[in-house]
Amino acid sequence: MDAITRKGQTRTAVDPVVTEIVRNGLIAATEEMKTNLMRTAYNMIIYEALDFTVGLFDAEGNTISIGLGLPMFIRGMSETVKAKIAHFKGDLDPGDILLTNDAYITGSHLNHMTFTVPIFHDGELLGFSCCMAHWPDVGGTLSGSTTDIYSEGLQMPIVKIYRKGVVSDELVSIIKTNVRLADRAMGDFRAQVAAVKTGEKRFLEMLRKYGRDDVLGAIDAIMGQSERLARERVAAMPDGIYEAESFMDDDGVSVGVRVPIRVKVEIKGDRMSVDLSEVSKQVGGFYNSGATAGMSCCQVAFKCLTSPLDMPINEGQFRALDIILPPGSVVSAVKPAAMRMWMTYPMTVVDTIFKAVAPAMPDQVAAGHHADLVVGRVNGRKASDNSFYIYLGGLIGGGWGAKHNSDGMNATIAMNDGDTHNGPSEQVEAKYPLLVERYCLRPDSGGAGQFRGGLGTEQVMQAINQINFSSQMDRVVCKPWGVFGGLSGFGNSVAIHRGGADKETHFPNGKAINQVLKPGDAYILRSGGGGGYGTPLERDVASVERDVRCGYVTRDQAERDYGVAFAKDGSIDVEATAERRADMKKQGLPIDEPIAPTPIFPAQMILEQPQRNEIPEKLTEEERVVFAMNCRCCS
Amino acid sequence: MDAKLNQNRLRLSADVGGTFTDVAAFDEPTGRLMLGKTLTTHQRLVTGIETGVEKAGASFPQAQLFLHGTTVAINTILERTGAPCALLTTQGFRDIYEIGRVNRPEAYNLFFQKHKPLIDRDMRFDIRERCDAQGRVLIPLDEQQVLDTVAEAVKQGIKAVAILFLHSYRNPAHEKRAKEIVEQAFPDLFVTASHELSQEYREYERTSTTAANAYVGPRVRRYLGEMDEHLADTGFTGTFLVVQSTGGLFDIEEAQQSCIRMLESGPAAGVIGSKVLCDQIGLKNAIAFDMGGTTAKAGVIYQGDVLMTGGQIVGGYASGLPLQIPMIDIQEVGTGGGSIARIEAGALRVGPESAGSSPGPVCYGLGGTEPTVTDCNLALGRLAPDRFLGGEMKLNLKGAENAIETKIGKALDLGTLEAADGILRVAVTKMAHMVRWVTTERGLDAADFAMVAYGGAGPLHAAMIARELRIGKLIIPFAPGHFSAYGMLFADLRRDLVNTWFKPFADISFDEMETLYQALEKAGTEDLARGRHMTVDTVSLRGADMRYVGQEHAVTVDIPMELFERQDRDGIKKLFDAVHETRYGYHNADEKAEIVSLRSATVGLMKKPEREPLDHGGVSAEAAFRGKRKVYYSGVGMVDTPTYDRTKLAAGNRINGPALIEEHASTTVVFPQDKVEVDAFGNLHIEIGRA
Repeated sequence: MDAITRKGQTRTAVDPVVTEIVRNGLIAATEEMKTNLMRTAYNMIIYEALDFTVGLFDAEGNTISIGLGLPMFIRGMSETVKAKIAHFKGDLDPGDILLTNDAYITGSHLNHMTFTVPIFHDGELLGFSCCMAHWPDVGGTLSGSTTDIYSEGLQMPIVKIYRKGVVSDELVSIIKTNVRLADRAMGDFRAQVAAVKTGEKRFLEMLRKYGRDDVLGAIDAIMGQSERLARERVAAMPDGIYEAESFMDDDGVSVGVRVPIRVKVEIKGDRMSVDLSEVSKQVGGFYNSGATAGMSCCQVAFKCLTSPLDMPINEGQFRALDIILPPGSVVSAVKPAAMRMWMTYPMTVVDTIFKAVAPAMPDQVAAGHHADLVVGRVNGRKASDNSFYIYLGGLIGGGWGAKHNSDGMNATIAMNDGDTHNGPSEQVEAKYPLLVERYCLRPDSGGAGQFRGGLGTEQVMQAINQINFSSQMDRVVCKPWGVFGGLSGFGNSVAIHRGGADKETHFPNGKAINQVLKPGDAYILRSGGGGGYGTPLERDVASVERDVRCGYVTRDQAERDYGVAFAKDGSIDVEATAERRADMKKQGLPIDEPIAPTPIFPAQMILEQPQRNEIPEKLTEEERVVFAMNCRCCS
Repeated sequence: MDAKLNQNRLRLSADVGGTFTDVAAFDEPTGRLMLGKTLTTHQRLVTGIETGVEKAGASFPQAQLFLHGTTVAINTILERTGAPCALLTTQGFRDIYEIGRVNRPEAYNLFFQKHKPLIDRDMRFDIRERCDAQGRVLIPLDEQQVLDTVAEAVKQGIKAVAILFLHSYRNPAHEKRAKEIVEQAFPDLFVTASHELSQEYREYERTSTTAANAYVGPRVRRYLGEMDEHLADTGFTGTFLVVQSTGGLFDIEEAQQSCIRMLESGPAAGVIGSKVLCDQIGLKNAIAFDMGGTTAKAGVIYQGDVLMTGGQIVGGYASGLPLQIPMIDIQEVGTGGGSIARIEAGALRVGPESAGSSPGPVCYGLGGTEPTVTDCNLALGRLAPDRFLGGEMKLNLKGAENAIETKIGKALDLGTLEAADGILRVAVTKMAHMVRWVTTERGLDAADFAMVAYGGAGPLHAAMIARELRIGKLIIPFAPGHFSAYGMLFADLRRDLVNTWFKPFADISFDEMETLYQALEKAGTEDLARGRHMTVDTVSLRGADMRYVGQEHAVTVDIPMELFERQDRDGIKKLFDAVHETRYGYHNADEKAEIVSLRSATVGLMKKPEREPLDHGGVSAEAAFRGKRKVYYSGVGMVDTPTYDRTKLAAGNRINGPALIEEHASTTVVFPQDKVEVDAFGNLHIEIGRA
């Protein structure tokens, strides 16, 4: 079909009022798709963890407007739509619905089923409506880790799940045969179809109301506005080549082997290019993600730097961005790399881009953040009726990096997630045999600086009955870095406190897998702090005084890192402080150690052997669904 | 006239808003309604109320009831002008108020600011005590620590104390005891404990609610106290009641304790007014649409009931503070008469910046230079320069036109009229998206609703919004510019109580549940006891927050009393399935459900004032006709449009659009193809024509 190209039809001059109405209409349309999906999906991951994206795309697959669940999904669907266009080469008809969950196309994991409807207006293909959502189960192994894609579940290549409005029973049958919870999967299937249909309907309404030329013209104009704004903002950045390097602790398989993340950013006139060729090769563990995720890293960073609040997401604003990303890296992995924990590394890639450009645009970046979702997974049986349960804990929020004019945020969710909430302790205790001993800020965890990094948090969870506990985090040893003389914050960490013991058991690489906790034992999740900005010796004394008064910073750290001297009555002695600071400056103090374990208790660390996770033999459907949910994007 | 008769005949209400103070006075013996509108006097709010009462031709000594809606509580939070406070909380949870829910709604903003607590960390204290989720005491309350901690905080100058202990919704004993200790030792402090405001789980939201109450408490208590004294000075001998965010009333003794419950009293009263109107004319489903100077708001009446919510976030979703108390569910968008139009990166934007009342729109001539929505209405002929606020305020047409032309028209290469029309169309689509949102969010379709439009700017834009959403029926109530004050006249005494009670639905014991409901109802009835002399009846409503096992979000299900009487477990489950179906588009009869919280509302029904009906005047509206003027309509251009004086309309009058119906505080725009009929109470029923 030749309608796939827009052809060279002339368009009338764009009506600025219609443009603004279309702009608001597109946002409302994708918001409505989002609401409909959240409303109709039978899947908590969709409406509670926001693990989805919806969007409208032009006939070439460029993003017109997207309604995000999670911020790292900024790129995912456009690549998927483009792959579908390339696959069918124009062989599309009204009523077709296209489906795939190819992990190397979506860039993430197999749970991300992506539905796309081509939108035809008077026989002409004018765009696509698309919806990606996380299915709780797509088959694959329930236990342990994976080392290739085949063990992760059903792979659905690009297919027409509907042809001219008729569903393909064979394909549906293949899906139902390969997933554990077929009824629920079909519920999500229907919800996604409803969502893409909503997008199609609203888009067609706009076309009918304002006419094809005006709407397409308005979309061009909107993208043009975004592009102009982005170019203006890039043009204001100093030209140059900026590089930075950071490290992941390890891939979970080769313990302690650092995984390098090197990025190069070039700014030239009104263009920015981000080169990820030097990011580590794909790894043996399941921390890989596809090229789409690599591109997302660059786009997320670009969006943060150019238009964090003032432009909706569309293709136009990324026209000034070039991405260099050869295949085979840990964020452009190729088959058969394992992808289940795809979301961990990209957060650090984004931070590393900020680190690279920091010298060029010190007013627009933040120091490193804790860059991990800090999740704890628990399963066990309730004493009352021996029923099996899974509790997805953690998401406790951590510290964010300081900026040129303000301290970093305390206790805020990491970059992969946006509007994700933690669970109230009162609810956790009511639902599970667990007791939250404390959930509090970690004093001193924010990297010292003229502006202080945000504080991480600590959650101590006591088991009332025996539980199995797992947590896989990173950036434990490779801590959130400071910039411009700011110090690094505390790293993330996980520990177990055995009932009656006076020491905690630590997991130095942050991977505590299948630990058995007896009643009275507690697990401890600690999220890292943000890095500091500027040298702490420049922090104004009043702020240090407030930090100490409020307990964000201990007296010890105030003396050691901020060079503050206290008078006998506990107040800050301004003169002595000035002296002390001058002295420290001469000696090159304070010293930063960005890659080092965070001392928590100066105690011996006990390494425990992983214990085999027992999958309960008899699972009810309800138990099965929670078990399968062990793997989700936001955790 | 008999002095006794002259007294106690009025029901008075005053809605004090940011710009205007509205007064409504209802004369019970004759059914006559009197209205007054005046600028709010921020220095001394009572002055404005007095002027308003005078303007309405009423006086305090004649009144038996004074009903009050005020923004004093919400402004104290938004302006951060509350009292220094201390927070006492369970050991290990000192930071819960600051940690919050860790979400980051501005996903790409590295400079994102999360909520800023009203109490700094150095005034937040851990107290040794602990209960578990069943309410069993794990660690007894350290009473000495409570005393010592507060004594230390008092030295730092605190004026109020907020107390939140974990699981106090199950067992409030520790909170009660701690409050007692503090009150005994420091009788001047304002002390508030979380279980008095919310008995629902979610410790962060409950902390925030309690802290906010402590923060506004001293100021609100003083304000109401002064108002009460002042009323006494004027010779008022009746009862002083305050409107809550639920639209219900409470007496000032309660209002001085649970201050936070009056947060959104004005907007809530408008929705109550809409609900009364719907009952009167037999409408089951309606959207209450209120457009003022800076915002537009929408609430929903569905199947005869006002839709409520369990809380809101004050100060915007991204960085605001949550309050966990029942209230009318009202959505808001930053589009109002004062919204400014501007060009940004070559694009036309309208709002959310507002010129407010000062400097106000350009046409007010008070120094405004940026074109606003009101200026556009003037330029298009919908407002008349010499008839605004009954002619009290002359509008500057030339200034408005000039601003639209230079700031917008030239940049977009549009004529002044086209630019003004374009600005209104953009403003209307924004409001239409908001109105659609309040319905789609709940699985409803706006097109199935009628719209009741009020607020000074509501009747100007309502028909455009209705058309956008395919709403067929529009109602402009009598006195739309005073509608919140009017709505208060019909409010009832009300106490909402919620108690978290996690229970698998299959296991619930009706006897246990009955005991819990009766305890809530007893508490509610006791709260209303002081107002018994004013009420004709007391009714109790029951509901429950329910969800399928495994879900986090619960839906509120209103449960008729007879289901409890019959102990009809299946009936309640079916009701829940149906609510879930509407809201989420699916249900599963075989899926297990659980109860999260029990809800109870005790309503002390007040005698409703009966309005005198309008004279019947036949079909012709000739008597109200006051000439024609040129008005611009999109896609049509300038049309000679008849104008009518609303005060002269009679019941049964019919008008075909185009027309303008003008009154003191508002103008209704009737578009070509729309048809108006005046009902017996002076409400305008507009049938929106299909193009």
